[in-house]
Amino acid sequence: MASSRTYDAIIIGGGHNGLVTAAYLARAGKKVVVLEKRPRVGGAAVTEEIFPGFKFTMFSYVVSLLRPEIIRDLDLPRHGLHVLPLESTVTPMENGDYLAAWGDHDETRRELYRHSPRDAEAYDEYGRLMHFMAQAVKPILGMVPPDPTSFDPRDLFALLRLGKHFRGLGAERLHALIKLMTMSSADFLDEWFETDVLKATKSASGIIGTFLGPRSPGTAYVLLHHYMGELDGVFRAWGFAKGGTGAVSESIASAARAFGAEIRCDAPVMRVIVKGGRATGVALENGDEISAKVVVTGLDPRRSFLQLLEEKDLPGDFVADIKRFKFRGSSGKVNLALDSLPSFTCMPGIGRQHRGAFSISPSLEYVERAYDDAKYGEFSRRPYMDIVFPSMIDPGMAPAGKHVMSIFVQYAPYNLNGGWTDAKREAFGDAVVNTVEGFAPGFKSRILHRQVITPLDIERITGLSEGNIFAGELALHQLFFMRPAAGWAKFRTPVRAYYQCGAGTHPGGGIMGASGRLAALAILGDGA
Amino acid sequence: MTAAPWDAIVLGADSNGLVTAHYLARAGRRVLVVDPRQEPDARVDVGWVPPQIIRELKIDARTSGVEQSDPWIAAPLAGGGRLELWRDVAKSADAIRKVSPADAGKWAEFCTRMRRLAGVLEALYVEAAPDIETREIGELLHLGRVGLHVRRLGKQTMIDLIRILPMSIAELLDDWFENDTLKGILGAAGVWHLRQGPRAAGTAFNFLHHHAGSPAGVFRPPWSKLTQTLATMPGVEIRRGTAATIVARGGRATGVRVGNEEISATLVVSSADPRTTFEHLKPQLDAEFVRAVGNIKMRACVVRGAWRGNGSRVPLCVAPSLDYLEHAYDDAKYGRPSAQPYVEAMGTEIHVQYAATVDAGLAARVATALGVSSDQVTLEPANGHLYHGDLTLDQILFMRPVPGWSRYRTPIHGLYLCGPGTHPGGGIAGAAGRNAARVILKET
Repeated sequence: MASSRTYDAIIIGGGHNGLVTAAYLARAGKKVVVLEKRPRVGGAAVTEEIFPGFKFTMFSYVVSLLRPEIIRDLDLPRHGLHVLPLESTVTPMENGDYLAAWGDHDETRRELYRHSPRDAEAYDEYGRLMHFMAQAVKPILGMVPPDPTSFDPRDLFALLRLGKHFRGLGAERLHALIKLMTMSSADFLDEWFETDVLKATKSASGIIGTFLGPRSPGTAYVLLHHYMGELDGVFRAWGFAKGGTGAVSESIASAARAFGAEIRCDAPVMRVIVKGGRATGVALENGDEISAKVVVTGLDPRRSFLQLLEEKDLPGDFVADIKRFKFRGSSGKVNLALDSLPSFTCMPGIGRQHRGAFSISPSLEYVERAYDDAKYGEFSRRPYMDIVFPSMIDPGMAPAGKHVMSIFVQYAPYNLNGGWTDAKREAFGDAVVNTVEGFAPGFKSRILHRQVITPLDIERITGLSEGNIFAGELALHQLFFMRPAAGWAKFRTPVRAYYQCGAGTHPGGGIMGASGRLAALAILGDGA
Repeated sequence: MTAAPWDAIVLGADSNGLVTAHYLARAGRRVLVVDPRQEPDARVDVGWVPPQIIRELKIDARTSGVEQSDPWIAAPLAGGGRLELWRDVAKSADAIRKVSPADAGKWAEFCTRMRRLAGVLEALYVEAAPDIETREIGELLHLGRVGLHVRRLGKQTMIDLIRILPMSIAELLDDWFENDTLKGILGAAGVWHLRQGPRAAGTAFNFLHHHAGSPAGVFRPPWSKLTQTLATMPGVEIRRGTAATIVARGGRATGVRVGNEEISATLVVSSADPRTTFEHLKPQLDAEFVRAVGNIKMRACVVRGAWRGNGSRVPLCVAPSLDYLEHAYDDAKYGRPSAQPYVEAMGTEIHVQYAATVDAGLAARVATALGVSSDQVTLEPANGHLYHGDLTLDQILFMRPVPGWSRYRTPIHGLYLCGPGTHPGGGIAGAAGRNAARVILKET
């Protein structure tokens, strides 16, 4: 055996959650090793120099949900985390007009007033309610989900406390919360606003990473996410990490190392070794075996249980639950190296708008139709896009005078009719570029290099099943005590000493790190 | 003015209005029912009639005729022939085996699991919706009882309940089955009277809602002549061909106005939809309530009609796959009637979805779906939303008809609601009417 050292914990996968778990365990004095299959840590939160001189945050693109207690506990700013604000969103409209939301509240209100005085009035009240709701939901992100089917007094007590928390909100807000959890974002916004482009842009945030359209029930609660982001205690700040999202992962890795954790890259794990119903270590693809008191998986549920373990190690019901856990990756990414910045028809020239996001969501119908294509197995001919120019915020991302452009695209279904091929990937890239060209004529001629990433590519590179960026769909029946399976939402698994810490557990994806932290606390709580 | 001649006036001689009226009359109240239609509705009532109503109102089960045909559905198969599903679970499994042995193997288990969940809904439907904000000890005990009831059903049922209710019917069916015809038949029940496609979250709930009252393995609601039977039962006076508006003064209902005549009563109960009920009363209501009522989603999507029929009593379902239903919904999503609608024929009656209005070509498209010539199909003009509010997750239980007002009473003192716009909603015959009457009798 190549390694005879015994660890307290092995973390499989160096995604940001795995790194958070490692850092917390190491901080508690545990001897920890992280095993990452790729040459660098980060999983889906990596920055890579795809074309010489041009750096891209390959998959994910903005930061806002990273839990503040993690930033504090791990002292991430000291390890290089530096978040730059991304404060505006401009939505070009089909008629040449635009809708803009700026960092300055009054300016946003004036802009909204131009579209609808009524909506400008409603905007503040809406903001107050959403802000309050986000505060009400936030404690749930930081709690281990109780099991409602259990008769364990601890679960019953936790359920009662949860019930009390919600009742404490008061009737009106409790009703609003139920509406948020069950309605479509379009319907929810219809109750507040009349400006179509406003509803389209807001509801677009409700569909990110899901296989749903703005009129699909269950998309409203994601609206809350915009009010949940918390950077340096400032609410609603969307940010861009200096050096890309890879820098977030690097800073967590650096913190973990500082606490004594060992991180090994190019170390793909083949399987988890189970003896007598207990995980005792892992076998690497190169034949090495490493043993540890506990094994923690940061991979998604399908890989964690159906690939790393054998079915005989798990109860049949549990296997069935994991098999029907839905992934359905629906988003792609187009990364462009640009000779110069494009000018948008709706707001000509180059200016502060390029330091924020451009949302290609001109109307609800536009976004809904993009979904219709995907529903029947095609990529959107005219997709919803969220565009940022990271080099405008962090000049280090591109050579002097040049720029990088990051386009998050939806929808690109993993299960494309006929399957993804190189030709289909390029056709998808063409659809993206041509749609942008419609809003910014002359844009195409500025492109130096183009990288198109489909959900299949995301799966191949990061290992995320079906390319789902949240390690499993964030659908109502896959949340909280149902994530990843009823009865197994507390980071433990049916195999003793085998824990899960990835975004496939509560509270889910979005570079929050919350799953990783809660998993570490559960492991420490079990006295491992 | 002398004492009011009536204790209660009920607006609407439909199943819920009449159930409320008879419960009030049975308790000794003098009840007048007012209905704008000249003739009693000759159509059958579709949906579960809770057995409590039959028993307590002493309805003759033979004349009220609660029934379900056997087979309960037939659907044309892509390669010719029909898939027929029977009340007998094993017989259905035999029929399914011809199109998919795998699906046949799962049929019995699926039927048992769904029946158990529908049973939970039935228990919730014959009571006013649980009040989760309550601080009253009695109500807290009631909540506790509901919780215990669910817990006693066992872990599997609890997990099913939590997992399945917010799901889409398409996901639920894809978990279980592979055959398109079978999934089309079951998926149609998930979108029944709902302007949403089978991929919408919450359609699995709608599916279970319409399974209430049916035996295991039957996924179409039963029908009855509840309304017709109640209309002929003594005890309440019914005035037909009379459009009435509610009269309220200073936030208190005092009666109804019919033409120039004002009929006073201490209590007014409306089975009309909430929006219509409150339309004239807005000046007496607070803005929040008016806004909540205005926000009720009430998206008509069903046109009804008749055809000459195929001589069979077996309902015929034209929804060959989940994608067919989804495409039909896509049209509705953008405000058009479906190019290829979902059609279900029961005897000579037909149900067409999705269409909010009858356009020129709809009858022809329905005829094509049924495989007959278009002169054999007649469609009625669209007539609003039969359920008085979509049965979506945000509009059920204590959220129905509007949050905070699920207990049949309204901000207008002496005015109650009893229609399908209240808990438990449309597709359940008389349950809202009975729940409303019980609340009224307790409170007045």
